[in-house]
Amino acid sequence: MEEKQLSEKESLLIIQQMISRAKNEFVDTGVGPILWGAVIAVCSLVQFLQIQFDYRLPFDIWLLAILAIVPQIYISVKESRERKVKGWDQDVMGYVWLCFGVGIFLVNVINNVAAHQLNPILSEYGKISGKTDVPNFWTFGTGYLLFVYGYPTIVTGAARKFKLMTFGGIFCWISAIISAFTVAKIDFIFMALSATLAWLVPGIILRRNYLLQKEKNV
Amino acid sequence: MFKELDPILHSQLRLAVMSLLIGVKEAEFTYIKEKTGSTAGNLSVQITKLKEAGYVEVTKQFKDNYPLTVCKITTQGITAFEAYVKALQSYLPK
Repeated sequence: MEEKQLSEKESLLIIQQMISRAKNEFVDTGVGPILWGAVIAVCSLVQFLQIQFDYRLPFDIWLLAILAIVPQIYISVKESRERKVKGWDQDVMGYVWLCFGVGIFLVNVINNVAAHQLNPILSEYGKISGKTDVPNFWTFGTGYLLFVYGYPTIVTGAARKFKLMTFGGIFCWISAIISAFTVAKIDFIFMALSATLAWLVPGIILRRNYLLQKEKNV
Repeated sequence: MFKELDPILHSQLRLAVMSLLIGVKEAEFTYIKEKTGSTAGNLSVQITKLKEAGYVEVTKQFKDNYPLTVCKITTQGITAFEAYVKALQSYLPK
């Protein structure tokens, strides 16, 4: 770009071009949503199958979700190192997802404490009353998790004007309501569907857009 | 009535730099160079002018043992850019 006297029209053209070039830079790589969408969907489906076939794996399948934190940290550090430009909402989005991570941890701790305390009482009540349809705490516990899944997804989808992700987040909330009326086994199907719609599918689309954008920039 | 255009901003490269920085929180020197298609020397001179005017903030850091220059638009820069765009509008046919 050379230095020369500008006309008013040229000035406007430069402003327009540069703003548009900067805008094209903010394309999410999609790796994070793909990773979490796949992990949560797989864990939920395995959990469903374990209940359905009354089979127990020798380990807790949800440990996968804890293990997934390691590649997530690696991805975040790598992406932040490679990033040459920082957008206005980047920090805010980071805080939103950090709060999500802490929120999931808290809900899991509270759910486990509640299940540990309430399930023996509910089971005892079932035995005494002779009722076979007494629910356990997990019938309701998944609803809290689904609510937390939806929150940052809707915020991110709305902030990035990515309707599919917003829809995925809303689906998480709808699933949260439905899960209050269904047994735990079915809740895990809704959880798998929610993770797929909220993260996995939008993640694949983001990845495709990112690769297309990268190809254009070469 | 035509408003006077800010001479600091009424230059091709400086305006391009400001237009890039207005949409982001901060950007590396190499990113600005790549997007504006300018030479490192010319860009460095123009960024220094913007810095002297108080329109951008320049910080020097190190990334993987390599020097890294990060530019950020200041509040004064945002005000000047908005005023420039407004002044520009007065030149356009209504």
